[in-house]
Amino acid sequence: MIDGGPETNPPAPQPEDTSIFYDGQSNRRHQVQLGLTDRLEISENGTTLATWPFKDIRRADGATGILRLSCLTAPSLARLEVRDAMLAAALSSRCSQLSDHAAGGQDVAAIVGWSLAATISIVAVIWFGLPFAADRLAPLVPDTLERRIGNAAERQIGVIFGGKTCGNASGRTAFSKLMTAISQAAGIDTPVRADVLDTPVPNAFALPGGKVYLFSGLLAKAENPDEIAGVLAHELGHVSHRDNTRNMIYSGGTSFLIGLLFGDVTGAGALVFASRSLITASYTREAEQGADDFAIQVMHRLGRPTKAMGDLIFRITGNQGDNALSILSNHPLTEDRLKHLSDEDRPASGPPLLTDQEWTALKALCK
Amino acid sequence: MLELVTFGFYRFWLATDIRRHLWSHTSIDGDAPEYTGRARELLIGFLFALAILVPIYLAYFLIGIEAERAKAFASLPLFLFFYLFGHFAIYRARRYRLTRTVWRGVRFWMDGSGWAYAAWAAGWSLLTMLTLGLALPWRQAALERYKMRHCHYGDLQGSFEGRGWEFFKRGWWLWLLAVVPLTLLLVVMVRNWPAQIKIPPYVALPVLLLAPFLYGAFKAIEWRWWISGIRFGEVSFESDLSKSALYGLYWKVIGWSLPLLILLMVYIYLCSTLLVQMGLAPFAVFSTNGKFSGSVAMLVLGGAGYLAFLLAMTVVVRVYLLRDVWARAAASTTVFRLEAAANVAAKGELVSALGEGLADGLDIVGF
Repeated sequence: MIDGGPETNPPAPQPEDTSIFYDGQSNRRHQVQLGLTDRLEISENGTTLATWPFKDIRRADGATGILRLSCLTAPSLARLEVRDAMLAAALSSRCSQLSDHAAGGQDVAAIVGWSLAATISIVAVIWFGLPFAADRLAPLVPDTLERRIGNAAERQIGVIFGGKTCGNASGRTAFSKLMTAISQAAGIDTPVRADVLDTPVPNAFALPGGKVYLFSGLLAKAENPDEIAGVLAHELGHVSHRDNTRNMIYSGGTSFLIGLLFGDVTGAGALVFASRSLITASYTREAEQGADDFAIQVMHRLGRPTKAMGDLIFRITGNQGDNALSILSNHPLTEDRLKHLSDEDRPASGPPLLTDQEWTALKALCK
Repeated sequence: MLELVTFGFYRFWLATDIRRHLWSHTSIDGDAPEYTGRARELLIGFLFALAILVPIYLAYFLIGIEAERAKAFASLPLFLFFYLFGHFAIYRARRYRLTRTVWRGVRFWMDGSGWAYAAWAAGWSLLTMLTLGLALPWRQAALERYKMRHCHYGDLQGSFEGRGWEFFKRGWWLWLLAVVPLTLLLVVMVRNWPAQIKIPPYVALPVLLLAPFLYGAFKAIEWRWWISGIRFGEVSFESDLSKSALYGLYWKVIGWSLPLLILLMVYIYLCSTLLVQMGLAPFAVFSTNGKFSGSVAMLVLGGAGYLAFLLAMTVVVRVYLLRDVWARAAASTTVFRLEAAANVAAKGELVSALGEGLADGLDIVGF
């Protein structure tokens, strides 16, 4: 006996059909007798089919009440099934490493622990590492690639909005006058491409590569040129900070890392989407504040009030206060931004950006 | 019992444990099959799959941009590639699971080409879409024939005898009940676009109440048809799963999701009340005290609650739709002429878990 288990007597005579052996070569059932000497002897009608050293015997998954065994030194699929509880106990007591490969309680704790550690480190990378990486990498993305992505998005926008850019001549002249004034004040030498889209949604955005879109819905809500100028300057801020590219790197990276956790590299699943929007919300907020600062500088240089833009945003988002979904929106915390814009407000020192006539023409651009 | 919580990389261990549990609690002629796959294999398979998927995604991104530049939404056909890739992954994942399934000391295995299967599946899916689902029975039959023809138990070859016509005869009324009204509704909606359509509650409520019954009946019919079509050599299977056998399970899932959803809402309500009492504004888009820490706290708390809800839902789905459906289907099954499988010689090699990794990385399931 190898481990000197409690069993000292030879096992009781075995009832029929209690031990079945499969040799791993075929699925033929062998009804076998077991001899427990210094090793396990498996024999059928007096012929020894196999001998297994006790220390190599391992437990395999089986139905409850049946001890199913395999052996490291036997063919990998050879199995012995012991159905008699007494015999199973006698055999188990001799096999010192019966459950060696199976994950016991301690192993499960280790796996859960490491899994948690991996989760925490991934979240840490998303929280601290990715914003840093996005800031460093975005300037390295060549302009040509940015413009290509922008062109692709432009075509999609053309299809979605039916290519309805607005354009009566006097309105366009006013719009480009406004745009030129802002981009000169912003110190952008290359001409900025901008368009007004005919859609009731009050919004504006910039594409990668620098094209700025203004929606006629925003024009309709605006009450003076300074409000629109502030918004356009804000979008130019996104362009000059390359927020689109940074955001692409950042959200691509987050999707990928969260996908690692939940098993979905595409980042399309609901779980990934939910956790991602939560995490990226704070990142987008920083970008918005950066663009606001940019707009403030531009408006100062133009000698125009900064508060106007805040008024416009408040006019649009003010009544969304109770909307729970707004915690995930890209332009959150208007109150905070509005305060910032009001704090920086200075009395107008420069000439108006548009004459009354031009302003009327701009307002009528899409009518 | 099943571990209830899955998170991060522990999912590989969980999936393995679930399979070991399911396999060892199923009995074929008194003997339980054994699942010999190990979680470490899944982890390695996932890492390998990442090495393949990451370059593919980058290429997809770049090609997509070029295609979009040429024409808006021209990159949509690229999805077809991922559809094919998904079916390839499903085939290979099934192959992995099958080679880890052992019964009476002999393993199952699978040959055939994952790409051929993917092309076959894509063709049939297209036909199914064009016929509004009418071709589904023939699609399933064709795909099962391909899969089962390449399945083996030792030197016993599998086949599939189920006919699409049989499936169609049993399920056509479901198609009439489900697909026809849905199509009509869609047609009406497209006609009236973009005017919004309100679906009156006396239409929506019966539809919602009916849906679990329809889907339950469909799944039961499909299971029964599938099991009864399986052959291994001379061995055949027969299932008497009744149409109503799965209704209860779908209602249990609904019965669990509603309280969980209510719990989530209560939790969010409590969190926001708590924050309000602490003097913070949880949904501060615009408020008077100028602090936004309340919003951030709400974001984190709400996000954690939502994640917990999603995880709890996966547990519910696992218990009822995975374990219980399997148990009922297995219990309804009788095996005939098993003596034909009394002396099967072992054959077939183990394959890697790469397919499982790809399926995990693409977030798809199937078998």
